[in-house]
Amino acid sequence: MADRGMATGGRGLTEGDVADTAPDWTDAGAARGRTSHASRARRFVADAARTTWHDASLWGVRAKRDAAAAQVPDWETLREDAASTKRDALARLPELWRRFEERASAAGAQVHWARDAREHNEIVARLLRDRHVSRVVKSKSMLTEECGLNPFLEARGIEVVDTDLGERIVQLRHEPPSHIVMPAIHLRRQEVGALFAREMGSAPGLEDPDALTAVARRDLRGRFLAAEAGITGVNFAVAESGAIVVVTNEGNADLGTALPPLHIACVGLEKIVPETRDLAPLLRLLARSATGQAITTYTSHFRGPRPLPGSELHVVVVDNGRSRLLARPDFEEALACIRCGACLNTCPVYRRSGGHSYATTVPGPIGSVLAPARDPGAHADLPRACSLCGSCSEVCPVKVPLHRQLLAWRGVLADEGHVPRHRRAALAFLSALMLRPTTYHVLARVARSLARRLPAPILDRLAAPWTRTRALPPIPAQSFREQMRARRRRREQEHRP
Amino acid sequence: MSGARDAIFAALEAARSVRVAARVRAPSPALPADPVAMLRERVAQAGGRLQALTRPGSLDEVEWPAPLDTLHHVYSAHPALASRGVGLATTDVHALAALELCVLRAELAVVESGAVWHVPRSPGERAAALLAEHLVVVVPDSGLVATLHGVYERIRLDRIAFGWLLCGPSKTADIEQALVLGAHGPRSFRLVLEPD
Repeated sequence: MADRGMATGGRGLTEGDVADTAPDWTDAGAARGRTSHASRARRFVADAARTTWHDASLWGVRAKRDAAAAQVPDWETLREDAASTKRDALARLPELWRRFEERASAAGAQVHWARDAREHNEIVARLLRDRHVSRVVKSKSMLTEECGLNPFLEARGIEVVDTDLGERIVQLRHEPPSHIVMPAIHLRRQEVGALFAREMGSAPGLEDPDALTAVARRDLRGRFLAAEAGITGVNFAVAESGAIVVVTNEGNADLGTALPPLHIACVGLEKIVPETRDLAPLLRLLARSATGQAITTYTSHFRGPRPLPGSELHVVVVDNGRSRLLARPDFEEALACIRCGACLNTCPVYRRSGGHSYATTVPGPIGSVLAPARDPGAHADLPRACSLCGSCSEVCPVKVPLHRQLLAWRGVLADEGHVPRHRRAALAFLSALMLRPTTYHVLARVARSLARRLPAPILDRLAAPWTRTRALPPIPAQSFREQMRARRRRREQEHRP
Repeated sequence: MSGARDAIFAALEAARSVRVAARVRAPSPALPADPVAMLRERVAQAGGRLQALTRPGSLDEVEWPAPLDTLHHVYSAHPALASRGVGLATTDVHALAALELCVLRAELAVVESGAVWHVPRSPGERAAALLAEHLVVVVPDSGLVATLHGVYERIRLDRIAFGWLLCGPSKTADIEQALVLGAHGPRSFRLVLEPD
């Protein structure tokens, strides 16, 4: 595929690399190659037809979200409720996690604590190794993606099968998900058909989504039945009851936990809510914001292992930079995110640059807020990959002020020196110029008269990339101030008796 | 790993913000004027079908996804229909893979979304609801609630090991956003309302 080169995430690395470095942010592409968002986006937009289609598909999801929100009369109150629940929880995480640990343990679950990705991966690997597990089915979990769990386990001889259809597709393509809810949103049906023909032996040329899904269903059903353990993420952990809640549409997290005896659930520190009743507003918002559904097909509440001999439930609670983010009053609200993906679907930059252009586990507006907190050097350009249109903040079900945080990051990153030298020089020049009006006016006049004399093709080249899809407006002979002054003079003459 | 635990709690304590967030609570709405009509619409939106029975205690009126006498492997939690076929006595949930039909009884149905709240009677029942080709859920008329608020007001999550909300057949739109019913679980879903 032409876009194969975009696979810059954790899965693009060799297994050994990831296993040995256990990056706390699995994006290896940005950290190593020092490629920019703009250069990665350029690769995506080179295929204009795909860009247009990608843009339209995501806008379609956004439209479904709007329709679903309109069906709920108290939508804005729900957002207030959910936003205040998550902020309340963030304000007392130690107390809530202590209570969760106590209640979950009482229900028979075992709770583990991991400071970073490496500890998380080691805990999971140890649980599997101790039980001689070699076949694992995994449902969608951005946290395990962030921790690089798959390559870590594979390097230790454990087969990990991603079971969400979109995740399975990108796993077989050895690339990271490009969206947190729709991992294969960047791919066309023909690409999926070719992949399945190669990997699952389906008929070449098969491209009907129904038929392709049936092929994957058959293949994965066997893997569910053969699995010795299931790994899931967690959408919400409830302190009051020690329960964890996992949502899917496909039923893959459910099959993966209903069949094998061992269930390992991996959860980030930010996922906890105080009370069971807090789930109502959050779940009413989540699927509507994500895909425009009133609710997902499956919303499973686990409290302890299955009542069968040999069944176990392990909950691995992971920090991996979250407590660090919590200590930053300017950005801690990003921890309220419930990973619905609405901000991605509405973002004009995400829609047209594709998820892989962010080179982070979580792309889009929320990813651009989270990533610089982990590695400012590698992701300093993400907060600038934004037009500050504010649409992300408008659709966010938990009211994370995303565009404000993106703007705030630009300031913080500039203060910390994470601005390219040419940009810093240009800004220094501009600010010097703005402080000297006379110099500014003289230079502007020179620039205007030069621009009016230059042939259009040369002028266009100078103004690139702005002119790639647009024409420059005609350059006026006079500046705005001069035009206004002339106008005032004319008026005064007209009114003179 | 108590070292990690202590370190995490220390980091959280250190980061603890002094701000107290004021809690806003959205109200729990009352049932709409015609709850069954809304429920029917929302179940259909989720790819399922709703059928309201006129007589309690009998499933004779149910429009089954396939003629009952053609089905060899059936799991039923409803007394009006007997289970038949493989694996139902075993504790090995894998034996249920051949199930064609699973009939569940659930306590509550959410009018706003079409979801039902169900607590499996056994791990086998939970697996059956996932492995069967077709799922039928029977809910009493008195079990209608307006929204999820109504569900969480009525259930005791701290008394069960597992409970779930089910809404429609399993589905995916991971290939070009095209909706496909029957991803990994049941291909069809019927919600049956039974008079009390």
